[in-house]
Amino acid sequence: MAKKFLAIIIAALICVSFVFSASAYTQQYVIDYADKLSSSEIEELDLFAEKLESAYGVTVLFCITEGTGDVTADEFSSETYGDYTDNENGIIIVHDDWNKSYSVFTSGNADEAFSDAAVDSMKDAYDLNESYYGGIYACYELAEEYLENGYSGGYIYDEEPLNNDTDTIGASEEKDGVSIIWLPVSLLIGLLVGFLIINGIASKNKSVKMQENATVYTRPGSMVITGSADNFLYNNVERREKPKQTENKNN
Amino acid sequence: MSAILEQKCPCCGGAVEFDSGVQKLKCPYCDTEFDITAMPEDTANQVEQINWNSQGAQWGAGETDGMSVYSCNSCGGEIVADTTTGATTCPYCGNQVVMKGQFSGALKPDLVIPFKLDKKAAKEALKKHISTKKFVPKSFLTDNRLEEIKGVYVPHWLFTCDAIGNANYKAKKVKTWSDENYEYTETSYFDIYRSGNIGFDNIPVDGSTKMPDDLMESVEPFDLSQAVDFNTAYLAGYLADKYDVTAEESMPRANERIRQSIIDSFKETVKGYDEVENQSANMNVANGIYKYALYPVWLLNTKWNGENFTFAMNGQTGKFVGNIPTDKKAVTKASLLLGAGIGAVIYGLLWLIELL
Repeated sequence: MAKKFLAIIIAALICVSFVFSASAYTQQYVIDYADKLSSSEIEELDLFAEKLESAYGVTVLFCITEGTGDVTADEFSSETYGDYTDNENGIIIVHDDWNKSYSVFTSGNADEAFSDAAVDSMKDAYDLNESYYGGIYACYELAEEYLENGYSGGYIYDEEPLNNDTDTIGASEEKDGVSIIWLPVSLLIGLLVGFLIINGIASKNKSVKMQENATVYTRPGSMVITGSADNFLYNNVERREKPKQTENKNN
Repeated sequence: MSAILEQKCPCCGGAVEFDSGVQKLKCPYCDTEFDITAMPEDTANQVEQINWNSQGAQWGAGETDGMSVYSCNSCGGEIVADTTTGATTCPYCGNQVVMKGQFSGALKPDLVIPFKLDKKAAKEALKKHISTKKFVPKSFLTDNRLEEIKGVYVPHWLFTCDAIGNANYKAKKVKTWSDENYEYTETSYFDIYRSGNIGFDNIPVDGSTKMPDDLMESVEPFDLSQAVDFNTAYLAGYLADKYDVTAEESMPRANERIRQSIIDSFKETVKGYDEVENQSANMNVANGIYKYALYPVWLLNTKWNGENFTFAMNGQTGKFVGNIPTDKKAVTKASLLLGAGIGAVIYGLLWLIELL
């Protein structure tokens, strides 16, 4: 019974983890053509950008490249933006790591949230950070601040008043906090736990069952172990890479 | 040919019964109490030869198989019972009668555990059993009718032996550590062997096909230290059956329980592992003896929605068992409500964590 119960819980956790992973990581927001970030770093930054998009309706893309090929930097940024999102409200910051230059493309309401001064401050934050991951993360933190200010009718970086109409900045109903996607996930977990608890109580209505053994009839002190052996058979070692936190730009 | 025995009061001639409260025979008419040993096992006046074959002309071939007809000593009425019935009540005058032949010679039980708890205690236990359960249909609580309550001495075979066995287990140890770049998990597998002896005393196996085995095993254990040598006087006022499952037929069930006990007991000596799983086991039994005993059980039958429900109470310890129907709608409703509540709490906590 305990094994069955454990199996149900494990199965449920696997299902939930699928829901989590499927819902949490579906779109790419950080494009790393220069191969400067690890997959876990990209995943973490993507989650940050997804949170911004979910909360404010604005897509914030960041691209690291080494050259823009046959096209100009501006063409490259607008084309890359179109390749990675259909959202009409958004921004992409492209950093050409080879030429140490930037190109920025903004679309829709993102023009209002991200003024030139705001974009410059994001570039500075990126440049000042030692690692690519840390730089992009700092950019996203600033982006969140600008979007929040714009959403609440405050002032953006260069102190120009924003449009107070929330619809012009973000389409999401939430100002802050947990994404609405967690609501069905929480309910699913709650229902599963509730089902297990209630059925555990209801199962006590059945009290008739065969006995499994006869240990209650064991003669006290009669058990004698005459032979005992614990033989090692084999072992295996699994190695899993730790998620890396930072990578130095200079390396 | 069988004989029936009625325990008669020497004072007033009324039929006496075994009183579980005082552990004596008691006359319900004049309240006189008698020690079991004071009552005669059998007397010429109390024995009557019964010729159930006299009805043979009326029955077709094979129709009387499994059936016996007795005459009540008190009123002369005919008592029809199956061949395993050892004690019953006369349907005409209510006298308690014991079919002595069912417990004579080789059929005589070695031991009997007298009833310690009476009918009233069984009724109260049923009420408590039902009232403490959750998600019981409301109509079961109101419309459930107690159809029958009877104290039955159930025949059991008691097996005593020394078991010699061995068992193999597969065990697992898991160790984890990490360095700067990697996390490591080492899983080591072991083959475990244990052999030894365990003694078992009086493992009961239900000797009656009338009684559901799971119901009888559910009211275990009985305290055999309170058992006494069999005396038909203990049967007065109760129903009793003789066994219709032989000791040989009961042995596989006893062996099954002994085998599982060896696996479980030896497993407890396997320590220091994260997982232990039994792979195989072998067992031999030495010094095996068996006894025939009557165990006291109260059976309560109720009826609800045309369905019969049987409950049982250990007539010695009071352990009460019986399956109760579950209101599936109530279970679903409660699961949804609780689930929604837990879900809301989880979501609220996520918000709190996010905001903090």
